Amino acid sequence: MKSSKLLKLTILALLSTIAVVLMFLNFPVLPAYAYLKIDFSDVPALIAGLLFTPVAAVVVEGLKNVLYLIFTGAGDPVGAVSNFCAGILFVVPVTMFYHKFKGVNSLITGIIVGTISMAIGMGVLNYFVFLPVYSAIMDIEAMALPTVKWATVTAGITPFNIIKGVIVGVVFLVLFTKLRTWIERKRASFI
Amino acid sequence: MNNIIIGQYVPGNSIIHRLDPRTKIIVIFFFVIFVFFANSVASYGLLVLFSFGCAFATRIKLEYIAKGLTPVWLLIVFTFFLHLIMTREGDVLFTIFSFPIYSGALIQGISISLRFFLLILVTSMLTLTTTPIEITDAIERLLQPLKKIKFPVHELALMMSISLRFIPTLLQETEKISKAQASRGVDFKSGPIKERMQAIVPLLVPLFVSAFKRAEDLAMAMEARGYQGGEGRTKLRELKIESRDRWTFLFFAVVIFCLFLTRA
Repeated sequence: MKSSKLLKLTILALLSTIAVVLMFLNFPVLPAYAYLKIDFSDVPALIAGLLFTPVAAVVVEGLKNVLYLIFTGAGDPVGAVSNFCAGILFVVPVTMFYHKFKGVNSLITGIIVGTISMAIGMGVLNYFVFLPVYSAIMDIEAMALPTVKWATVTAGITPFNIIKGVIVGVVFLVLFTKLRTWIERKRASFI
Repeated sequence: MNNIIIGQYVPGNSIIHRLDPRTKIIVIFFFVIFVFFANSVASYGLLVLFSFGCAFATRIKLEYIAKGLTPVWLLIVFTFFLHLIMTREGDVLFTIFSFPIYSGALIQGISISLRFFLLILVTSMLTLTTTPIEITDAIERLLQPLKKIKFPVHELALMMSISLRFIPTLLQETEKISKAQASRGVDFKSGPIKERMQAIVPLLVPLFVSAFKRAEDLAMAMEARGYQGGEGRTKLRELKIESRDRWTFLFFAVVIFCLFLTRA
């Protein structure tokens, strides 16, 4: 009992490490919004969520962002918070669907739901929280105008999150089909 | 992969290096808040003096600190010009290509980009002078009160230190795997998104499998050495608030007091 708890801790720690490493390999997708970057750091969180519970996925998302901040020098804490929120909005639906229904089909449904929840959730959060905070830090009032915010959300943030959800989801699905037996064997050894 | 700086820490023995990491985190936290209160030449001057004083006290070469700030330079310059163009206050100083530049805009642009610069400079001081492990220890201590509401502070800190320990290892491993794949003709750096997606999967599979192996070995090794969770565990590096930390707090309080005196 005790040892499986410790093993769980070390596994979550190593998965967070992979997430941080993958965060370094990021790339922009929309040329006009170069600050919105895609990386595959949600994949380890998804694996944690499948192996254990959705909470484990949230832990990996949190650790990943804290470590990334510490490691790169705390340049952009708001970016880390928004990445954390986006991660949760994506990862929790996917893993919940998987635990409820199992199988590849439940993952596909989960990824679709996760992408939608991330796109809508991040749109709302950006409109009401992150864009106003950024505009306050940089003191650019124009950035907090409703029309400008609306344009940024509809032209930049929502399309970006949909693309991100699809890309990360597809990579994860391919990876899952390759690792499926391995994941299920590991899963069985923890229960 | 080579252009990633592995950690920001610069070893040293300056007064800033020797401060308790908790002191640094708390001071920087409040600095980030109070920097928004500056609104006059004198108050900005005070903060500039404080920040550069800290930067000099770290005894790290200024070029090195500046190099760490490179990703933000562009943003600072961008903010400056945006304010220069958008603001329409004060008198017209001069016109560039029949575009009037106002005196208010110049002041606005300078003060906002200066504030931005100070924020980044001071926060980068933490990671420049503190090892990630020290930061983790400090976070564990600062979050101690949360234990009362059953928040697993020790477990989180343990995961953070394990994770930090393995970042360089896994970075190396990723590089090794990607080189092995590249030698077989895989291209990670360019090409359309579809090809990048195909390239990442063969990178992830060995990474996950080896990470699990490491996690299992580590858990077994910890178990064998009698790890039993956070209760009653002693520390190799004890954090102690010393007189230099108290003086730092006092000095910072004086700076903040002066900041409010010099506000317009």
